[in-house]
Amino acid sequence: MIVMEVRDLTKRFGGLVAVDHVTFEANEGEVLSIIGPNGAGKSTLFKLITSFLPRTAGRVIFQGEEITGLSAHLVARKGVVRTFQETTIFKEMSALENVVIAHHLRGRATSVGLFLNTRVARQDEASFRDSADEILDYLGLSRVKHEEARHLPHGHLRALGIAIAMACDPKVLLLDEPFSGMNPEETDRMVEMVRGIRDRGVTILLVEHDMRAVMRLSDRIIVLNFGRKIADGTPREIQNDEAVIEAYIGREDDELGI
Amino acid sequence: MRLRVAAALVGLALYLVVVPFVFRESRYLLGILTTASVLSLISLGVWLTFAIGRINIGQAAFALVGGYTTAILSVKLGVSFWLCLPASGLAAALVGAVIGWPILRLKGVYFAMITLTLSEAARLAALNGGTITQGATGILNIPLPGEVTFAGVVLVPAFRALNVHLAFYYLAAILLVLGLFTVTRIASCRLGWIFRSLRQDEALAASIGVNVAKYRVLAFALGCFFAGIAGAFFTVSQQSIYPSSFGVPDSVYFMLYCFLGGLSYVSGPVVGAFVLFLGFELLHGLREYQMLTYAAIMITMMLWLPNGLLSLRLPARPGMKADA
Amino acid sequence: MNYALIALGITLIFAIMGVLNFAHGQMYVLGGFVTYYVYGVFGLNYFVALAASAVTVACVGLVFERFLFRRVLRITTREESTMLLAAGTALLLDSLSLALFGEKQRGVAPVVAGVYEVFGAFVPASRALIFVLAGGLVSALLLFIQYTRPGRALRAIAQDKETAALQGVDIDRYSALGFALGAALAGLAGGLLVTVFAVNAGAGTPISIKAFIMIMIGGAGVVSGAILGAFVLGFSEALGYFFIPGSTTYLMILVGLIVFLIFRPQGIMGKPWG
Repeated sequence: MIVMEVRDLTKRFGGLVAVDHVTFEANEGEVLSIIGPNGAGKSTLFKLITSFLPRTAGRVIFQGEEITGLSAHLVARKGVVRTFQETTIFKEMSALENVVIAHHLRGRATSVGLFLNTRVARQDEASFRDSADEILDYLGLSRVKHEEARHLPHGHLRALGIAIAMACDPKVLLLDEPFSGMNPEETDRMVEMVRGIRDRGVTILLVEHDMRAVMRLSDRIIVLNFGRKIADGTPREIQNDEAVIEAYIGREDDELGI
Repeated sequence: MRLRVAAALVGLALYLVVVPFVFRESRYLLGILTTASVLSLISLGVWLTFAIGRINIGQAAFALVGGYTTAILSVKLGVSFWLCLPASGLAAALVGAVIGWPILRLKGVYFAMITLTLSEAARLAALNGGTITQGATGILNIPLPGEVTFAGVVLVPAFRALNVHLAFYYLAAILLVLGLFTVTRIASCRLGWIFRSLRQDEALAASIGVNVAKYRVLAFALGCFFAGIAGAFFTVSQQSIYPSSFGVPDSVYFMLYCFLGGLSYVSGPVVGAFVLFLGFELLHGLREYQMLTYAAIMITMMLWLPNGLLSLRLPARPGMKADA
Repeated sequence: MNYALIALGITLIFAIMGVLNFAHGQMYVLGGFVTYYVYGVFGLNYFVALAASAVTVACVGLVFERFLFRRVLRITTREESTMLLAAGTALLLDSLSLALFGEKQRGVAPVVAGVYEVFGAFVPASRALIFVLAGGLVSALLLFIQYTRPGRALRAIAQDKETAALQGVDIDRYSALGFALGAALAGLAGGLLVTVFAVNAGAGTPISIKAFIMIMIGGAGVVSGAILGAFVLGFSEALGYFFIPGSTTYLMILVGLIVFLIFRPQGIMGKPWG
């Protein structure tokens, strides 16, 4: 079942076309990876889908509903949540506080209710705490949950970023280079985490450079080059795709000066 | 925890009971304490904008809005002060919300500069407001607050029948206590955490579904509300208002009070305002060197206490901080 | 043209140090007073007076940078700190001027007498002189920044402090230079204009505000923006006062500025911010 469609999504910066009429579909419960040489427009694509960048053209349809052009927080409210490329967390809050605040979308109390600390507000807070504990536990962060976020080591920060995204109860999770800067053990653990999240029913879109992780994890892969989609298929198909090899090798040649 | 509550109660007792009783005949002392209280209130408003990560040098503009609202309503329309007071707050908040919506997209120096422009623009608007604001002459002879009766019972006697200075002291004190309570409450409930998330990373906040624009304006408008109320107070305590009543230097002072008291603490602006304003008055004897010494002291404080006065004694409590 | 001097000065400081020099207007006033005393009271040559103004204010700038800003920049975690320190220095200079020079307005007789006729308008010779001198100073500054080694160092720091440091530029020394230079420009502007307008100790804040307006229009931290901003402001003022007497002009300028900034916060030439 198709959970999200992207149609002709385009982004132009002045004369530069960063994303060029990209069209694809995401099936419910799959892990869809988006790869491509540097500068292919992958992260830009994510930003367009989640409305962190205004699009030049194209549409995004989520669960049959048009979400193109909705403001960023509304896109999150619909269930499409992204993580950020550099590890983005609330630095001056503890890990626990980070995840608790990320439950914002599940809040039932109004602003006034929060101020007055009504029963609903207190119930919210209690349920957020429980949920946050569970998420942190699942991602292996229980021991550091009271540490201030900026003191956490890199691997934990990544996990925290994902914890925050999970607190939003997403239906589609867009992970932006979650494996970058990780050693093999950390990568393995992250692969397991991502699989686990997928098993919980979340559709995952992944932008990544680490080919091993991508090949292990993905149900389908989309390849971008110069903002255009050049391939779309299973990992095996992509590995043997001429255009893909050309795109990567071609780039390498440039760098080598051949 | 117990210690804090006890300290707060003692402070309140001093503030609301002991001091006014002991000094009830001292016009000067009551006067400066009253002024310090209201300055604290305005600074609390500025603190709210610091809490969402903006540097606000425009608070004077909103104090002016509040002041003129009260002046015009009470002089031209004969509205009772007790209605003017909330009306001024609301007027300032409304103007704040309308202007805030587009300008809060800016950050850092840019936001600071545009708010600075607001302070100056407000002064000029008052100056050129024609018959409404009476330009440079200002609005004078603003009546003192009248009495408040309910079901034949006098709840608040008319100010002119009382020790006026004492009456204003109490009004200021009550406003400040209410204001401080409100901001403390906000800071410790989830609203405060939402504001904190805005301050630390707006993009991340948006990605978790926080309606960034709405909460920014909320914080800003709330800050403006405080300014409006304070403006109304000054208008009526001085029974006059001029375009120059609140200007750019005032906006800068409010900022400084927050900063020097300690931005990480809700009571920072209050401590800052009291210490600095009272300190200024204490230097009265230095005459022409008063201002100079004052400025020198402020700079020294910035050099040695970059996190404000309160950082000396209190480790910041989570839930009470602007930057947790 | 004089506005350009002021705008360039504050832009320089902003570009190098990232600090909005709240005290800029006060430095202008200080420069004016120094010229008043050296030229008007002691009767020395006007150009000597100007030089004295520049040097005095530059020294003040140096002291500020070295002892105040450098320290705060090092120990603070919040970005607001330097701005508030700048506000503090403004208060300091303001009160210093008041204490040293008193409240009276001081003016200096025009350096040259006579009137020129330019394109059918009468231009007092003194204003022409100011124009020429200011123009000369601005050009000199631009040449300095563009072609000399220290100038290039300053530009490098303005563009990317870290890279400049990595390339061996002594950040501390050039920051001091930048600040001193920016301050000197303000002082010179004051010295020049004291022959036409009187200065008094309280004039600092309105001038600082004008300086801010100029860099808001043109773009903070960009030299071309500073000059552009200065011209736009000067032009708007002249045009405005011609049609609408009184301070309404300024109100409209400010409102226009606010609206403009909402759509283009970085000013005309400014770098778009992230």
